[in-house]
Amino acid sequence: MKSLRRTMAVAHKEVLHIIRDARAVYMALGLPVVMLMLFGYGISQDVGHIPMAVADQDGTPTSRRLSQALVAGGDFVRGLDLASPDDAEAALRAGRVKAVLVIPREFARDLARGVPAAAQLLVDGSDGTTATIALGDAAGILQATSSVRAVRASLSSGPRIRVRFNPTMRSTYNMVSGVIVLILAMVASLLTALTIAREWERGSMEQLFATPVLRSEIIAGKLVPYAGLGFVQTLLVITLGSFMFGVPIRGSLVTLFGCSMLFLLAMLGSGLIASVIAKSQLVAVQFALMMSYMPVAMISGFMFPIANMPRWLQALSMVVPGRYYLTTLRGLLLKGNGLDVLGRDVVALAGFATAFLAIAVWRFRRRLA
Amino acid sequence: MSEDVSVRVKALTKRFGTFVAVDDVSFEVKKGEIFGYLGANGAGKSTTIRILCGLLSVSSGAATVAGVDVVRKPNAVRHAIGYMSQKFSLYLDLTVAENLEFFGGAYDLFGMAFRARRDAVTHDLALENLSGELTGSLPGGLQQRLALACALLHQPQVVFLDEPTAGVDPEARRTFWRVIRHLAEAGTTIFVTTHYMDEAEYCDRVGLMVAGKLAALDTPESLKRTIVPGRMFEVQGSSGAEVQKVAAELALLDVEPFGAALHVRVAQDGPNAEKLRAALTDRGVHVTGVIDAEVTLEDVFLQVVGAAKPSHAPEGAKAS
Repeated sequence: MKSLRRTMAVAHKEVLHIIRDARAVYMALGLPVVMLMLFGYGISQDVGHIPMAVADQDGTPTSRRLSQALVAGGDFVRGLDLASPDDAEAALRAGRVKAVLVIPREFARDLARGVPAAAQLLVDGSDGTTATIALGDAAGILQATSSVRAVRASLSSGPRIRVRFNPTMRSTYNMVSGVIVLILAMVASLLTALTIAREWERGSMEQLFATPVLRSEIIAGKLVPYAGLGFVQTLLVITLGSFMFGVPIRGSLVTLFGCSMLFLLAMLGSGLIASVIAKSQLVAVQFALMMSYMPVAMISGFMFPIANMPRWLQALSMVVPGRYYLTTLRGLLLKGNGLDVLGRDVVALAGFATAFLAIAVWRFRRRLA
Repeated sequence: MSEDVSVRVKALTKRFGTFVAVDDVSFEVKKGEIFGYLGANGAGKSTTIRILCGLLSVSSGAATVAGVDVVRKPNAVRHAIGYMSQKFSLYLDLTVAENLEFFGGAYDLFGMAFRARRDAVTHDLALENLSGELTGSLPGGLQQRLALACALLHQPQVVFLDEPTAGVDPEARRTFWRVIRHLAEAGTTIFVTTHYMDEAEYCDRVGLMVAGKLAALDTPESLKRTIVPGRMFEVQGSSGAEVQKVAAELALLDVEPFGAALHVRVAQDGPNAEKLRAALTDRGVHVTGVIDAEVTLEDVFLQVVGAAKPSHAPEGAKAS
């Protein structure tokens, strides 16, 4: 980059393209809102309203309190009452309920005597996510419900679990921070992927190459407006996450935006690489999605925990910038971590940003052949 | 290099894989000259221009533009040249003023210097009062002129125009060429490719490209004299096949379709129009008229292309 004024001329032109193109504005500012709504409200891993049948053969106040406690917890809805535990299988099979609570005869008496309580919660395991969460919730509810003293007592022999940073285990918090990563990755790389490929396609790149503007100036000039747009986007999704979903911001705002910019630059860089290599808008978009959206969704730790992945996938996730940004974001939003803890991730983000932009400039040849 | 040579090309060759787009081409263009480059599609015209603009690398050979070696230092030539690519490539979603401002900036023109040049080119190209219009909403002729204006902002020494008037109406073409001539008179070198033969007549010198080779290069007059010597007649009312049959017998040098009629050429000391008509009629060829005709560059082009590729269709001259 030799001339700041030439770079600014490119940047100014790019701003004009953005404001004239309704699609770009929607993609930059509308899409994040839609995605946040969709993931925040629509795709929640908090399972509520699980239809549950109850086969209460005990019929005592104690047994009734048990079933009421599950319903009162908000996760289970009492669907139907079964006369016999033998009907449980059929109810689950037909899909009328997702869970069946079976309370045997003598339940209250056994508890009173101090004999281990043998109530049974049958969960439809064909829906794995619901089953896992239902089980976890049921245990939590029973433990927390002081009204069922005897039950609590029987469970209290196990380890005491206390969840830090997100005590109610709201999946929304994790979801929203993940979605922020996803949105920034997708939009940043998509928009920049389009910008250079469009000039190749329209033929204006050739015209541009015949002027004294350098390739680094073209890249920098295109980067500036999109980085600005990305910044506005970051502001938007974090504000929305905070107001709509109550996601806390416990860390420093400056660090938050600093890290976000590093991640944005890395994503803008990967979009540039896509369009520098592809030369057609369609291919560039697919390429950019492959490079940004897919890794973030699959192996950044957003949807699936990295610790559960096979070793080679874990290794692959090391080169996904979204992984480091997700750690940073969760640390900053939920834990209030500072740079002392996040240092490693921030360095990784800075490294990716530098490397991707350098590759983009290097791959971006001025000559046509 | 002498001061008055703007473009110097020596044994220039460009290969794409096994395809030789430009094959051992050499020529010089003088300062202030209008240099026309003619040839069919794929003959290597655009490739030559792209090399001279420093956009394409060279397989072998040398090329100098405005004193800059574009083979070694392709970036150093950009301030000295203006380039209008074949494909219209301004930004359609920008206004006229915004396109001018952007290309001004791209050529390091800012502030007062930019405004002075902008006013000058918009005046020269009659683009005043259009500054607020979206470029995409302008008719083709105006878009073309705007593209030229953008290429002239920085007062380049050499202007490369790759089929600048393709798809532009005749009126707009005439305006365009008026500007080109003014530029050349003011000392700007013009390097232009075209497939309009009438436009080629405006050029000081014309180079004919056939399959990557520079097949002929001279002034339009000399080309006609040397490549299509003799006398040209327009023969009306006959079919080409009919006349072709008696061509050898009558010592006809050429029989080519020309519009609805035929262009028939004989040697300088051959028959006049009357005698030719009589001779044709005697041999049973149906003729409604024979008149003297001018040799055109189209005849030259057909002759040159025909020498390289005998079965070439006359439409080849139109479709560049």
